[in-house]
Amino acid sequence: MRRRIVPYFLLSPGTIWLVLFFVVPLYYMGKLSLESGVVGSLEFNWNWSNYSEALSLYDSQFIRSFVYAGVATLLALLISYPLAYTIAFKAGRWRNALLFAVVAPFFTTYLIRTLAWETMLSDESPVTKFLHTVGLAPSGHVLATSGAVIAGLTYNFLPFMILPIYASLERIDVRLIEASKDLYCSAAQGFWRVTLPLSAPGIVAGTLLTFIPAAGDYVNAQFLGGVGNRMIGNVIQSLYLTQSNYPSAAALSFVLMGLIMVAVVVYIRFAGSEALMGEEAV
Amino acid sequence: MVSSEKDRRGRQTVLAVLLAAVALALDLAACGGGGGGGIEGGGGEESAEEVKLQGKPSGTVTISNWPLYIDKKTVPDFEKATGLTVKYIEDVNDNAEFFGKMQPLLSQGESGGRSLFVVTDWMANKMRQLGYLQNLDKSGIPEVEKNLRGPLRHPAFDPNRDFSVPWQSGMTGIIVRKDLAPNVHSICDLFDPKYKGKVDFLTEMRDTVPLVMKCEGVDPEKAEAGDWLKAIEKIKGAAQSGQIRRFTGNDYASDLTSGNVVAVIGWSGDAVQLQIENPNIEWRMPTEGCMLWSDNMVIPVGAPNPTAAEAWMNYVYEPKNQAQIEAYVNYVTPVEGVKELFEKTEPELAKNQLIFPSESFTKKCSIAPPLSASEEQKLTQAFDAVLNS
Amino acid sequence: MSADREGAGGRAWRWLREHAVNIAAGLVVLYLLIPIAVIFVFSFNDPQGRYNFTWVGFTLSHWGNAFGLEDLTDALLTSLKLALLATVISTVIGTLMALALVRHNFFGRRLANFLIVIPMATPEVVMGAALLSFFLILNTPPLGFQTLLIAHVMFCISFVVVVVRSRLIGFDRSLEEAARDLGASSFETFRLVTLPLIMPGIFGAAMLAFALSIDDFVISNFNSGTTVTFPLYIFGAAQRGIPVEVNVVAMILFFFTVAAMGFATWQQRRAEKMASIRPEQEAGAGFPAGAAAAT
Repeated sequence: MRRRIVPYFLLSPGTIWLVLFFVVPLYYMGKLSLESGVVGSLEFNWNWSNYSEALSLYDSQFIRSFVYAGVATLLALLISYPLAYTIAFKAGRWRNALLFAVVAPFFTTYLIRTLAWETMLSDESPVTKFLHTVGLAPSGHVLATSGAVIAGLTYNFLPFMILPIYASLERIDVRLIEASKDLYCSAAQGFWRVTLPLSAPGIVAGTLLTFIPAAGDYVNAQFLGGVGNRMIGNVIQSLYLTQSNYPSAAALSFVLMGLIMVAVVVYIRFAGSEALMGEEAV
Repeated sequence: MVSSEKDRRGRQTVLAVLLAAVALALDLAACGGGGGGGIEGGGGEESAEEVKLQGKPSGTVTISNWPLYIDKKTVPDFEKATGLTVKYIEDVNDNAEFFGKMQPLLSQGESGGRSLFVVTDWMANKMRQLGYLQNLDKSGIPEVEKNLRGPLRHPAFDPNRDFSVPWQSGMTGIIVRKDLAPNVHSICDLFDPKYKGKVDFLTEMRDTVPLVMKCEGVDPEKAEAGDWLKAIEKIKGAAQSGQIRRFTGNDYASDLTSGNVVAVIGWSGDAVQLQIENPNIEWRMPTEGCMLWSDNMVIPVGAPNPTAAEAWMNYVYEPKNQAQIEAYVNYVTPVEGVKELFEKTEPELAKNQLIFPSESFTKKCSIAPPLSASEEQKLTQAFDAVLNS
Repeated sequence: MSADREGAGGRAWRWLREHAVNIAAGLVVLYLLIPIAVIFVFSFNDPQGRYNFTWVGFTLSHWGNAFGLEDLTDALLTSLKLALLATVISTVIGTLMALALVRHNFFGRRLANFLIVIPMATPEVVMGAALLSFFLILNTPPLGFQTLLIAHVMFCISFVVVVVRSRLIGFDRSLEEAARDLGASSFETFRLVTLPLIMPGIFGAAMLAFALSIDDFVISNFNSGTTVTFPLYIFGAAQRGIPVEVNVVAMILFFFTVAAMGFATWQQRRAEKMASIRPEQEAGAGFPAGAAAAT
């Protein structure tokens, strides 16, 4: 009997906290999304039009946000994998130093890092001029373009991509790779057939941890982007804080969450659910 | 394992229902307790509260203001002169954003501990209409009565200055990199394709849109909603064609100093600071005229220690105290008598048109008219759609 | 195979191919550190006015005056206090949850798993706004440090659970069984065997929670009242000109973190050397430092 109570006992502080401060506020926000009127005199009247308006007015921002987040996630994956691989397999004594290098920038604030990019990518800076010569910045400026926003998103979420991939690479039994070599696999084949699939849980976790916050981000668009680069996070923030249009802001938030959920569910179906739910059998 | 599948599902449902019940219970409790306040209920009273002065000011007073709007010595000097303790916070970064943060508190008659804050004319008007501000007791602010500059005594939104006292005034015009774009002299010039992608506009609707209306030849003080919408359309076109690089708050400073843009719609006080950074940066009065505005000190409902707040208002309206602030802030002072002081101590500043503009300098300038709640919602929505496009 | 016929070019090409991955990794590390370098360089800048966007001249004065700006130092202390408290609370709560989720199969487990994952899937904008409405409708506690703490713990719990859980999954239960066989009670087993062995994971989770809390801007912006945290201070400053001292403080945070991690790793290495026949139980699921003082 005691054994059966133990898990609930362990679970309760966390569950209570999450229910009270996450689930319940969301419920209230849900109620808010079905209200209408001007601030100071809102009334609840099952106003589903908030949702349909949200979808129709801001569809381009939704699409743009998912595109930016998707591209940023892909870029982050391509950039992170080699580093995670090196840290896991080839670093030896340098492993910890490299992990520091990955995590430490995280400790200077998000905003300062983004502003540092803003300084570095200003129109007159040598970096921008170099990119322009190389052809990566055709219009002569990097800031206030979608490229800058995507680059900012990619950069800011790199640790979220590197660490899960590293974690699952680190757990791969090296003997499996040796076995593949014994069976006449070249290094490349060994990678594609053994290492990559075994690191799949890490890739899934990393992509989710990157894509989801990136889709709702607004800081990068605000500092690095210009006209036409605004994401749905900017819209929600402005609806909430500038227009005080709480019902629409709430409706938009739920739509965003819903769309992300759909994308995640599809992705997990496709990639395998154990990785996310943590019931992997290693 | 232990229980059957059906049992499990039954119990999961019970769990979900329990959670829902908890949520509902909390909801009902809140409705009972909060009196329908918060963001759902309104807090507007029929007649506004009035500040009740209580003898000599004492204790602590919390003031919210815009950043960099005061010098370093005024607060300590005030504390020494009155014996009050001041908590001075610079958390007003944007009128609408500040409203968003404060509205849920104010609607329940709370101010989050603040005794006084500073917001622009239109926001003071809006808060007033929602019943969030208190009327001032004029007996507590004799210096204001004495020294408030003539042109500022009877604004349209507060004809008797019942609830607002200007902190600083300013002008919105164009700030230009004269080395990169020497020929920008009017708002209409900002639409010149020669400067495509090298121009920033303000996110502040009441600065940007009336200025564009002026470019179209419309007087903002007499404009109708249709004129506003037309101007917003024009801005939208410029945004979509790439003419406007971005919409900014104060952060046009970084674009100007690094040369990302050549001209922006900007505020007069900033220009004085920017010129120190880069002497090629200069504020210009647009040929169509500028927009005049004031940031006002107001006392919210639920303000602790309003007596001390009025003491603060009184203190900063003494010309010598105001001069100390003005020398640092460099906007347009609302206090009579400062110019004379500067002529003796800082003659350069006394001559600066941006700080002491003459009548002729501002003859074509306008003040943004107060909007009704529904007009405001419509226009803000249209303008925000452009900002977020 | 035909190495003796390779010229210098061929050898160079082969070296490149062998080390391609390492070179790529090195470039990535460089990329990660570029903004830090920029922040570092500009912390020596000597601007005339308020803005720190273009390089003017070199000075050490801001380093000397790093904590001279009262607002900045207050905000920093607030953030550190908040992060510390939030880390401790969320790590404890999260570890307990992870233990329950991994070790026991109980009714409601899938629901609990789901509950953990959803906050990670919610955009911060949504969480911040929802919490704000909630606090205001309830009318208590007053917006400020308490509400910030509640919010920070809330979003940290999920991450702690995920990290500790992944460490628990790879755990070798036979060690615990051995301890029990030798007469230890469940609690003693937990304290003397389990806990030290999962400590790297817990430590990693704690570091992650600390980083998330100290870096948080969006949720804090909605729920801070008049309290100013370090990121909020910077956001306000970004509008009007960031003082150079901000760069200095950011670099101090960075160096301090690196030093702390270095120290922890050095301790771990020492512990490992002292118990030299120890099997490969090093660096936890993603984080380098460990504390294993149990030996």
